[in-house]
Amino acid sequence: MSIPYSRLCSALAWGLTCALMSAPVAAAPAPTAAPTPERAGPVYLVGGELHVGDGTVIKDAVIAMDGGLFTIVGGPEARAKLLDESMAVDLKGKLITPGLFAAETQLGIVEIDLEGSTRDDSRASEHPVRAAYEAAAALNAESALIPIQAIDGVTSAAVVPTGGLISGQVAIIDLVYGDHRRLAAQPRAAISAHLGQAHAGSRAATLAKLREVLGDARGYPARRAAYDRAQSRELSAHPQDLEALQPIFKQQAVLTLSADRASDILAALDLARDFNLKIAIVGGAEAWKVADELARARVPVILEATLNIPGGFDSMGARLDNAALLHRAGVTVALLAPGGTHNLRSLPQGAGIAVAHGLPWEAALTAITLAPARAYGVERTHGSVSVGKVANLVVWSGDPFEFSSAPTEVYVRGVKLRGTTRQNLLRDRYRDLKQFSRKDK
Amino acid sequence: MKRRLPLLLGLALVPGPLACGKRPQTAAPTPPAPAAAPATPVATASGPRPKTLLRGAAVMTAAGKIYERADVLLEGDQIVAVGPELAAPGDAKIVDLSGKTLTPGIIDTHSHIGVYAAPGLAAHADGNEAIAPNTAGVRAVDAYFPQDPQIDRARAGGITTMQILPGSANLFGGRSVTVRLTPGVRSAAEARFPGAPEGLKMACGENPKRVYGQKSGPATRMGNVAGYRDAFQKASEYQRSWTRYRKEHAEWLAKKDQPEPPADDDDDDDRKATKDGKPAKKKKGDEPQAPAVDFAQETVAGVLRGEILVHNHCYRADEMAIMLDLAATYGFKIRSFHHATDAYKIADKLAAAGTAASVWADWWGFKAESFDGIRENAALLTQAGARAIIHSDSAVGIQRLNQEAAKAMHAGRRAGIPVSDDQALRWITANPAWALGIDAKTGTLEPGKLADLVVWSGNPFSVYTVAEQVYIAGEQVYVRGSLEPRTDFELGYLPGDLERSSPPLATPNAGPVR
Repeated sequence: MSIPYSRLCSALAWGLTCALMSAPVAAAPAPTAAPTPERAGPVYLVGGELHVGDGTVIKDAVIAMDGGLFTIVGGPEARAKLLDESMAVDLKGKLITPGLFAAETQLGIVEIDLEGSTRDDSRASEHPVRAAYEAAAALNAESALIPIQAIDGVTSAAVVPTGGLISGQVAIIDLVYGDHRRLAAQPRAAISAHLGQAHAGSRAATLAKLREVLGDARGYPARRAAYDRAQSRELSAHPQDLEALQPIFKQQAVLTLSADRASDILAALDLARDFNLKIAIVGGAEAWKVADELARARVPVILEATLNIPGGFDSMGARLDNAALLHRAGVTVALLAPGGTHNLRSLPQGAGIAVAHGLPWEAALTAITLAPARAYGVERTHGSVSVGKVANLVVWSGDPFEFSSAPTEVYVRGVKLRGTTRQNLLRDRYRDLKQFSRKDK
Repeated sequence: MKRRLPLLLGLALVPGPLACGKRPQTAAPTPPAPAAAPATPVATASGPRPKTLLRGAAVMTAAGKIYERADVLLEGDQIVAVGPELAAPGDAKIVDLSGKTLTPGIIDTHSHIGVYAAPGLAAHADGNEAIAPNTAGVRAVDAYFPQDPQIDRARAGGITTMQILPGSANLFGGRSVTVRLTPGVRSAAEARFPGAPEGLKMACGENPKRVYGQKSGPATRMGNVAGYRDAFQKASEYQRSWTRYRKEHAEWLAKKDQPEPPADDDDDDDRKATKDGKPAKKKKGDEPQAPAVDFAQETVAGVLRGEILVHNHCYRADEMAIMLDLAATYGFKIRSFHHATDAYKIADKLAAAGTAASVWADWWGFKAESFDGIRENAALLTQAGARAIIHSDSAVGIQRLNQEAAKAMHAGRRAGIPVSDDQALRWITANPAWALGIDAKTGTLEPGKLADLVVWSGNPFSVYTVAEQVYIAGEQVYVRGSLEPRTDFELGYLPGDLERSSPPLATPNAGPVR
């Protein structure tokens, strides 16, 4: 409507299918229990206080969403651009943020942690290099966890494989419950790998192996033919895995490296420099110790705001103002939900805790919206309320970080969430126990 | 089983084997008493008890009253007055707390701090004696490491008292210990909350099955319950053998000093003993021999006597119902279920049984038995008249139980379940105090209670609020930024620690914890 179809498609990039644009999507009948996306028709929101996600604030904001994207974002002057202002929803006095972006989750690939039959987060393999393993291929859009997070404002998540030295491909999803075809927004945004004692019981062995694999992968395209003719020396990983690594050398995909100890983080920076990679640090318990180097290298850190326990000798420096110190040094900080994949809805709590320990409020909002999008390299489509990005947005009853607040409206890909969650159905079934008491005898 | 019930109830009134020790002239062996808690008089030598007037804070008592502005007067280790505009005694130290909020010290019914000390080294894994499904004879107090740096972080979150439990690998994990978070203690005995009863950790469901399924068993929930029944049955019999012994011993003592009766005069009591299957005394006048002491049975018997409180890890509603039935059969009480993600489904039964539920605000789904967890659990329990508690089971969560309570409170309110601020505060103060059997001493801000309290930077239910000061039994043990105790373990690891010219850290109270 407001922007050409072709531009939309390029803005949506990779995974978001452009079919989304073609007239009302025939929504498959979804279980009534779950928030069900409607057709992504035009929606106008006016009058609210918009916290864009990049640190800026727009009072009396005008927001238009259409076809799953933001089409207009501006101040009161933008009202003139609305085709039909009478359609506008007045959000005067309401606070609006981007949809929350949950970093490092297993959403849609793990239902119950201790039940292997519900876990698809890891390729069971002796081989430590599993770069070709795709979380996206295992996604379950009907996971009970999805509506439970979405209804509290989480609209996107990075779904990350686990295990081994290089675990596999990170998928970025938008939380459209039940939509198997379109859950993944970007199936191969990043590749997850690990430092520290991830391999052969030694951090030195880990680094050596990573360098060997990255070296083989970088040289693989030139050797592919020789390899196929069996005229190549033995390579350090399966050709599929070496192929899967190619996007990181073109900086089309991020290599995430989990590391807590300051020395491991420095090793990650060296690795990135030597192979010219775009990386992000995951964990980063001691990142504050090397904040200046991280800032210089423009490497984001994905960390947990509550982490202050010296849980091992790799995290002796864990402290509650880690995020604040990194931010002050100019590092992009993304915050993890303190509650893990089942409680990604605790993202605002993590942000509030970071604020209580020195992180500025707007930076904390960025840390759960735009910063994780940047860390996984999807900031062109996700993470803030700006024209051309995916229309993920939350309207709040108050300060989003406070326990007393909750979303009043959540939009995922431009569609307002409706319906409820499995937890709410359980609550309502047992709200009045009198109906069960006759069974006591 | 039915026939035994009255007998068991009767036994609960009879002093246990421990009481034998009180008999002056007997040589009967005494089952070991739990290490007596040291009486630690705090700041009360012989002189006048120091007085402190905490002035002008918002005061949340957890006893039904919330003052927008009030004073709290401490004397020695106690609270002596709470109310607006208290007159300051001439010798009182006055602390201005305008703009702050005072609450009772926060109490956690479920922690493994000290038995799973940080860092999480293999050497520090002392919480699960996972060698047999019944290890009721082990005690957390024997593993509690007072140099665990997690203790300092919990205190900085306003925790003044916590129950340290063995893990949940076993049907009977062992005895718990309730400790105070006073800094600078050098042994678990010094950390003990004076006079707190011991607890027994029991576990339902998946964990014992998982740990022993491929070993000795239990492999199923059937096996779990058979294991509980077996232990309570044996403990009942153990109790009976001691009761019988005590009776016989008392009779023997009574007769000992009497003149020797004629040799051929048979003794009725001896015959009775024979009928009961006990070895008949060879000769009238021999001292009855005490049964063997069994530490595990002693723990379970302590539960039957009502001296040891049962803390039962149990998620599913149906399993909790089974445990309540088992408890009724053997005549004991379950003091609190722990985790209890399904508690809202049986809130009425819990209320009727007088059993508390220690729950999380929002954890769920990490295992099948926790899949039905909901955030309104605590609110629904409270509404049904059951005793709800928010617990942590986490060295991270314990640092912000106030926030967890806030989360559960607002989840309840959003669902239309009325929960007052005072009720939500009780979830982390008065109610856990009751579950640990120390509610007469702590858990509320009321005259006569121990001066366990927290000064918060603002409303404790805000995410931005932090604990600024913590008092334990009248002693100021934490002040944000200036008195931040550190355990031995952390010495040398903070920036600047090794750059000082002289031994800087002689006391456990030096330097900040971040």
